[in-house]
Amino acid sequence: MKVLLMGHPNVGKSVIFNRLTGANVVSSNYPGTTVDYTQGYMRVFDRDIEIMDVPGTFSLDAKDKAEEVAVKMLMENPDAKIICVIDTSKLERGLYLALEIIERGFPLVLALNMWDVALDKNIVIDLQKLEVILGIPVVPTVAISGEGISTLVEKLIDVEPVDILHISNTMKLSCLMTSPGCAGCKGC
Amino acid sequence: MHLTPDERWELIEEIARRTLRFGNYKHTLKDAIGDFTVKPATGIPFAIAILFVFWSVFTSFAALMTDGFMIKIFDNHWLPWLQQNFPGGPGNWFYALMVDVGQRQGSAIVASESCFDSFGVLTSGLFLPIGVVLPAIMIFYLMLSLLEDIGYMPRLAVLIDTFLHKIGLHGYAIIPTILSLGCNVPGVEATRILETKKQRFMMMTLLAMFIPCGAQIGIMQKVIPQYIGFIMLYLFVGYFLYGFIMNKILPGKTPEILMDVPAYQKPLVKNISKKMWMRTAGFLREGVPFVMLGVLIINVLYIFGIIEFMATAMAPVFEGWFGVPRETAGPLIAALLRKDLAIAQLGAIEMTKYQMISAVVLVTIYFPCIATFVMMLKESGRAFLGSLLALMIVVFTYGGLLHLIWKLMGVA
Repeated sequence: MKVLLMGHPNVGKSVIFNRLTGANVVSSNYPGTTVDYTQGYMRVFDRDIEIMDVPGTFSLDAKDKAEEVAVKMLMENPDAKIICVIDTSKLERGLYLALEIIERGFPLVLALNMWDVALDKNIVIDLQKLEVILGIPVVPTVAISGEGISTLVEKLIDVEPVDILHISNTMKLSCLMTSPGCAGCKGC
Repeated sequence: MHLTPDERWELIEEIARRTLRFGNYKHTLKDAIGDFTVKPATGIPFAIAILFVFWSVFTSFAALMTDGFMIKIFDNHWLPWLQQNFPGGPGNWFYALMVDVGQRQGSAIVASESCFDSFGVLTSGLFLPIGVVLPAIMIFYLMLSLLEDIGYMPRLAVLIDTFLHKIGLHGYAIIPTILSLGCNVPGVEATRILETKKQRFMMMTLLAMFIPCGAQIGIMQKVIPQYIGFIMLYLFVGYFLYGFIMNKILPGKTPEILMDVPAYQKPLVKNISKKMWMRTAGFLREGVPFVMLGVLIINVLYIFGIIEFMATAMAPVFEGWFGVPRETAGPLIAALLRKDLAIAQLGAIEMTKYQMISAVVLVTIYFPCIATFVMMLKESGRAFLGSLLALMIVVFTYGGLLHLIWKLMGVA
């Protein structure tokens, strides 16, 4: 099994990678620290899982060479599972990349990293609702202290691809909720 | 199935509407510091102060460690011990290669008194990388890692953006530039964060020519501390001058950049020390053997008279065009392997201070060291030939210009 760590620049992919593999990849507080991929391994339930730390990219339309590496990595590993790392305080634009990856049919776990910073900023995210809407596991993490990393790994094992149509349909379902006379559904 | 970007954003907006709530956000001290360091009126003086502190700590720590500690170990203990105990002794070729080539005094050759002069694989070959360069790059990487982890680099990028736009780059080019001050290899690799081929080409070429690496600066700090300011200034001016020219004549785009400035973070001691150690270990692994190899090769070339032959053959160029002694041929060969080694060699050649400045500039700009060369080849492919061409032109014009300046001043 192969896992790719993807996400915007400077959201903490390399820190998560170091946490997962015990490797020593350079991580810094500026976008573009990682410009090439690094491979590592972790062992979960007696299985060797190959993990790749991928350079940050804002979308799958590459704008520079580091982003090209990221997109190429994704294309070259069609069987990979993805951990999409998002800066929790910037949920929306992180979701853009996540949706793009989902659309291409990759199974994906969403890591809402820097969860603590978002808490400090009084940003509240309804995790359960987000999970239901997206149909994928959503895990809050604080990579530098290691919070949420083990949950991330657990959820990763059984994750399945979802259909983007399913997501937009769920949205429509939960739309019905607000209209009078709706008996309720699992959509919200 | 694929959505269009608009559809995607619509969907996200809807998702966010249902799952995301923003509470009150209070302006914190962090934000205040953030503003202070990025607004030009306060940010530029602050940046200058930071760089000044960086430089002061770098030079004083390196000097303290080298002069106060390393020199004593190497010159008072290691060198005499080897001179007494190494098989062969003066006159033996293997001894000369490994320990001490000796100093000419009239017609006699006497034992060297310092690891700077002895130029053996086990003496200078160890003393230069470990005694001089190691303390310098350790302190450099400590401070670099600090600035990186706090999150200061993107702010520096914002501040210098307007300036770098004048040469067709943008603020973010400061990242490869600063990394190159440690070692050009990661600097060249970091050019990947630039958007267009033109920008990457320019950046790589400028780095390879005008940005001396930490090891080189460390040795310069030891051998020629009094000229280092002028040399750095001349190199930085070259960086902008040739950047400006290349931007004008090269085809290609130089787009604007939208930059994410991350929040300041409290640096973690663990991450800082880990990075510092990794980078230092990289130097020990790849730098030290190369310096020792360099010393060996240079000694062998001297023994067989190859360097003397080249010096004589190239004399008109060296003396006529660049205004440096013909003996600079030796250091220039060493510079292909390690620039720090080359500077150390220059220190042993008799010349005026103006010739010394010219020679150091020449060593810096004339060709990247082998490690940088390989990385440039890997990163730019065929465009590398263009880089070499630009390099040749720059060496002859900018190196010659310095000679011209000395001539106009009447000191050459």
